[in-house]
Amino acid sequence: MKRRLSLLLLSLIISLAAADSGLMADGAWVREAPPGASMMAAYLVITNPTDRDARLIGVESPAFAQVMMHKSVTVDGMARMLHQDSIPIPAHGSVALEPGGYHLMMPAPDTRLRAGDEVEFMLHFDDNSSVSVTAVVRKKP
Amino acid sequence: MRIILLLLATALLTACSPPKPPQLQQATLLPSAKPIADFNLINQKGEAFTLDDLKGHWTFAFFGYTHCPDVCPTSLGMLGRVMRRLNENLQPGAMPQGLFVSVDPQRDTPEMLAKYVAYFYPDFIAATGDPAEIHRLTRQLGILYVKSAGDKDNDYLIDHSAAVVLFDPDGRFHALFNVPHDADKIASDFLLIKNYYEASQ
Repeated sequence: MKRRLSLLLLSLIISLAAADSGLMADGAWVREAPPGASMMAAYLVITNPTDRDARLIGVESPAFAQVMMHKSVTVDGMARMLHQDSIPIPAHGSVALEPGGYHLMMPAPDTRLRAGDEVEFMLHFDDNSSVSVTAVVRKKP
Repeated sequence: MRIILLLLATALLTACSPPKPPQLQQATLLPSAKPIADFNLINQKGEAFTLDDLKGHWTFAFFGYTHCPDVCPTSLGMLGRVMRRLNENLQPGAMPQGLFVSVDPQRDTPEMLAKYVAYFYPDFIAATGDPAEIHRLTRQLGILYVKSAGDKDNDYLIDHSAAVVLFDPDGRFHALFNVPHDADKIASDFLLIKNYYEASQ
């Protein structure tokens, strides 16, 4: 009995730890890939209403073999794409992944995604929490 | 009488003086349009694309690569909007051409480029070719590009100039649009540049 209780407690603690930490993701969309394009980009806004700075440390999606975190920067007129190991989301703040800035980069799947399709992303944060978000494929520059 | 003569002379002078350069929002006009030495690229149909193809019409040109998922589609989508806006204002014969030059001939073939650019605007054209020929054109425009980090041979990124170049109907480098790009401002600047060019002929 005692053992069962402690197991129950343990599983409760684990589920609490993995629970939603308060970070939120919305407005997610994937740019429809032009024909011939081998790479795609996804955008969203992550909001952190908590008192603690957070970092996005990894992203997965069943729709893509790989999801990389990137940032486009333009310095002296040169556009560069920089790989990011993590993306910071300040306490009581938000970060927008948007064209020309932070974005997710994925290899285009064999079956071409079309405007209107929906894909799931799982966002992993440095506090061990994860947030899933549905992104709509849009034909948008 | 003398005053009237003076007024007449002033009016005549004003009428004959060259038009004033337009006030532009995004474009940087070259102090004087720069003639371009010939180059030998391949267009999206696999045909030769040379300086002659820049002559007889205005050309907006953007330099990038199709493996670029963020900046290039954003810029080409923006240029597509410029073309649609101009289409409302110009006769078909007066429309500029939109040119995408791939600086990644290792991966971008003419067939790929044909499908890629038509997605953004049906009349867009594309060119690529021998790296030395691409460089022959870009170095005259101050357009830069360099391969950056990649894990594998065919998996690399390219840092590249984000500017849009405008060629005039003489095939000269006429103006530059730096980032951030705004389609409406570029379209209205273009009409001013075109009118000024025609008035100055």
